[in-house]
Amino acid sequence: MKEGKTDIRFLILMYALAFVLLWEWLLPVIELTDTEYIGVFLWFIGLSFLFRLTGMKWWLSVPLKIIYLFWSLHFVFYHAAFLTKDSVGHLVRDLISNFAIVGAGDWQNITNPMRTVLFFILLWMTIYLIRHWIEVRKSILLFYAMTVIFISVLDTFSSYVAEAAIFRIMVTGLLLVGLLTISRLSEKHSERLNTGMFATFSVPLLFAVIVSSTFASFMPEKGPVWADPIPFLKSAVLGEGSGTGGVVSKSGYDFDDSRLGGAFSKDNTLIFTATVPRKQYWKIETKNTYTSKGWEQRIDENPPVTYVPGAILEEVDYSDTANNLHAEINMRERLPYLVYPYGTSTIHARTDVLLKKQEETGQLWAMKDGESFDLDSFSVDFTEQSYSLKELREVTMEDYHSDPDVPELSEYLQLPEQLPDRVRELAMDITSKEESIYEKAKSIERYFSRSGFSYDQQNVAIPRGNEDYVDQFLFDTKRGYCDNFSTSMVVMLRSVDIPARWAKGFAPGEGKANSNGKVEYKITNNEAHSWVEVYIPGFGWMPFEPTIGFSNPVGIQYDLEMDISDPETPNMEERERPEPKKDETPVAKVKDGGGFGPFLKSVGDFLQKHAWIGILGIALLLFAVWLVYRNRGKWVPKLLIKSHRKRKPDWIRFTKQYKSLLKQLERFGILRTDSMTLSEYAKSVDTYFGGRQMGKLTEVYEQGLYGGYTNRQDWASLQEIWEDLIIRATG
Amino acid sequence: MTTHAQVIDKVLTNIEKVMIGKRDIAELSVTALLAGGHVLLEDVPGVGKTMMVKALAKSIGATFKRIQFTPDLLPSDVLGVSIYNPREMEFEFRPGPIVGNIVLADEINRTSPKTQAALLESMEESSVTVDGETIRIPQPFFVMATQNPIEYEGTYPLPEAQLDRFLFKLKMGYPKRLEEVQVLARAEKTVPIDQLETVLTISELTELQHAVKEVNVDDTIKTYIVDCASETRNNPYVYLGVSPRGSLALMKSCQAFALIKGRTYVTPDDVKYLAPYVFGHRIILKSEAKYEGITANEIVERILTRVSVPIERVKMK
Repeated sequence: MKEGKTDIRFLILMYALAFVLLWEWLLPVIELTDTEYIGVFLWFIGLSFLFRLTGMKWWLSVPLKIIYLFWSLHFVFYHAAFLTKDSVGHLVRDLISNFAIVGAGDWQNITNPMRTVLFFILLWMTIYLIRHWIEVRKSILLFYAMTVIFISVLDTFSSYVAEAAIFRIMVTGLLLVGLLTISRLSEKHSERLNTGMFATFSVPLLFAVIVSSTFASFMPEKGPVWADPIPFLKSAVLGEGSGTGGVVSKSGYDFDDSRLGGAFSKDNTLIFTATVPRKQYWKIETKNTYTSKGWEQRIDENPPVTYVPGAILEEVDYSDTANNLHAEINMRERLPYLVYPYGTSTIHARTDVLLKKQEETGQLWAMKDGESFDLDSFSVDFTEQSYSLKELREVTMEDYHSDPDVPELSEYLQLPEQLPDRVRELAMDITSKEESIYEKAKSIERYFSRSGFSYDQQNVAIPRGNEDYVDQFLFDTKRGYCDNFSTSMVVMLRSVDIPARWAKGFAPGEGKANSNGKVEYKITNNEAHSWVEVYIPGFGWMPFEPTIGFSNPVGIQYDLEMDISDPETPNMEERERPEPKKDETPVAKVKDGGGFGPFLKSVGDFLQKHAWIGILGIALLLFAVWLVYRNRGKWVPKLLIKSHRKRKPDWIRFTKQYKSLLKQLERFGILRTDSMTLSEYAKSVDTYFGGRQMGKLTEVYEQGLYGGYTNRQDWASLQEIWEDLIIRATG
Repeated sequence: MTTHAQVIDKVLTNIEKVMIGKRDIAELSVTALLAGGHVLLEDVPGVGKTMMVKALAKSIGATFKRIQFTPDLLPSDVLGVSIYNPREMEFEFRPGPIVGNIVLADEINRTSPKTQAALLESMEESSVTVDGETIRIPQPFFVMATQNPIEYEGTYPLPEAQLDRFLFKLKMGYPKRLEEVQVLARAEKTVPIDQLETVLTISELTELQHAVKEVNVDDTIKTYIVDCASETRNNPYVYLGVSPRGSLALMKSCQAFALIKGRTYVTPDDVKYLAPYVFGHRIILKSEAKYEGITANEIVERILTRVSVPIERVKMK
């Protein structure tokens, strides 16, 4: 390394360019994950490069970086520039508790500080790699190519717009690659370039990059070949013209919930779009009877009530005008019932239909001429509900009996007889400390995210025989999706005599501003969801959200004077920042999820719907295969030794061994030109390793090849020499 | 098989007693002798050319003849003349110095082309024709010709086409410092050449020459030799490349060399080692090459770095 010492000015330039490239990596990550504080990370990168440039010893730079890392965490999460005793203690405790979580592989529950630490570590490693590329390999093409691919993939498949970024990357990347090439060339010819010579090389490069990029930026842009690659790829894979409506072999929203559990496959089919100012939960129905395997609606129903469109379905409190909202819903797929947000007062639709509502289940549907009718579009007036936390906390179990307005709720306390006692005991345990109904419900809602439960769509059990769905989830598997969480919460609530029911519908979905400046939410089958409704006297049915990674749709006014120990606030905030995107719910359930066949089928379905993931997967696979192939020098010899030991020891085996040894030596780095004779090559090999092993093998080989002496007795000792040599050549 | 090598080694060691540090030249000379070829030594006077040949001759107990070429030398001075014998009443052939086992033709380029031609022809034919009578020269017959590259005044350079009568063209070179000191030390009191003993009989030598023919040349090696030769024909600097006779010469010398090395088969290393000596004087360079100062040997070296060595059996097409 001594003679390869590069000019410091050159290094500064290289690191500056690399810094810009890394910046381009950070930008979309920050934007897409709603992470703020890009500056903190940029400073980290900058500091690392600076330490490197000043030649700081590792025992100084590593602690400095760790101190900076810690300070950044503190700054980001406690918004304070200076460390205080409390905040530091808090931070340290948080991180320590996270080590256990990381150790358990429970990625869902890692808290944000820990995530930031992990991200820093990732950055650190990347910086180290870049350093290696710049100073040792003097070739950064791989990183450059990865940057381009990363940004263009993001541009294509996410909302990140990378037009300017691509331009910046092209310019900095080309400069970086070009300058490093010059430096590599000068090293190859072991000539240090002085400034003048360096300029002679780099000025044309600079000129070429600037001219070509200026030229490119002024050129008219050609329109994309694919309007949107995703439908294109999909249709290419499915062999159909349309992207979205291609195959819907199974209904996304399942109305039969009598057997829950099992893995489910993703389904991106768009069900409806909703133009609405804020995220809403879209309710369809509720169910009241838990069968220990699933849900049914059992009690005899009253006849549905009929309304004309525009009539008031339900009296709600309009007093808070800011919360009076309107939603436009456009159906893309057929659903037997209407979807509607909480607080719906009126539904507007074409006037030649009648609306029917089943009060017990909340199902709403349209009839025309005595037959059910699918509305293409309708709109909803609704009022976002807002509850006072103070008032909620005043309602206790007593009020179920004392409040005269409470209706008959016994059906919402139903539980199967065979429900194991430990479920009830657990529920008692969780809720006993709380006085109010609301807090009891909240404590159960919180229980899941704090007790090692994890969100999982694939490895979800189906109860068999006498097993109870809830019991299995709470005590055995502890992993599942919304059905598991919501059902378990309902059952636990009922076991402590709080009336609750199981609600179904769709989660809010992905919103995007349309041309009118309004936000349009796309709700696909992946948003199918289930949650919990609890009856609280004086407030009625209130939704709760126990599923990890989702947030409660209900607005709560924190009109209390809260002490810091109140777990509510941090909890809510944590929930507000869930994983950037999580796939929501069980849609098409793969019944009998035990075997291997269904798994393959679900993988097949998944790939069919996400062609680009498939393509990416294949690309990754090919890359992996290529990597294995490239490193064949490491594993091929071992295989060879094993296979050759089994063969008959003779000239043919020896020929094969010798040739494979030649290849291995070449991979090892002792090159043989075509015009080199074997004994010349053997000499250089033996000089490298010492001894005369290769010479011996070569002599035998030459005797056989040129002299025709292939009858020997010493194959065994030759085999030993060969094994020894090929192992050495493995490096 | 190794006995052959041991026998030859004795000869080489013997020569080395006189020619310090010149084992490679001795080896090449013996190679040529075994292959039935002749050697052209090109070097300045006094580096031991004559001594070399004498030592070789003495080691194998062969008759040694020397011809000092001068501009006025006539073919009959080389080949011999028929003299009238009055007693027998007939012409009697008196063989010239060429009829011997080992002949040193000193400063061959100093004589007239006529005499040169006579010498070269008898080398090629291994016979002498005088007055319509052909006399076989006894085997082994090995001519070592020398030429002085320095003096051009009054010389008749050998025609390039005739150079390929010689199997090898060698350069002797000066001894190294310590070697020269040793040369002086040995010659201080005695004449080393007088002390040499014969270590090989003529019949043994003939046997060795037969053994050379038994040395195996694999098809891959033949292909390699031909590839090298044909490369010389396609080289841009070369006016005239190596002829098939040149390829044949290389193969034969490789066989002999392999025998010296105690092998019964030829390896590509033999080919690579001998090719410059065999091909060097058989290539006629274009004038561009001469201007650029590229020698024929350099061309051969370059070609050897381009032709790929056969390292596995390939089916012949």
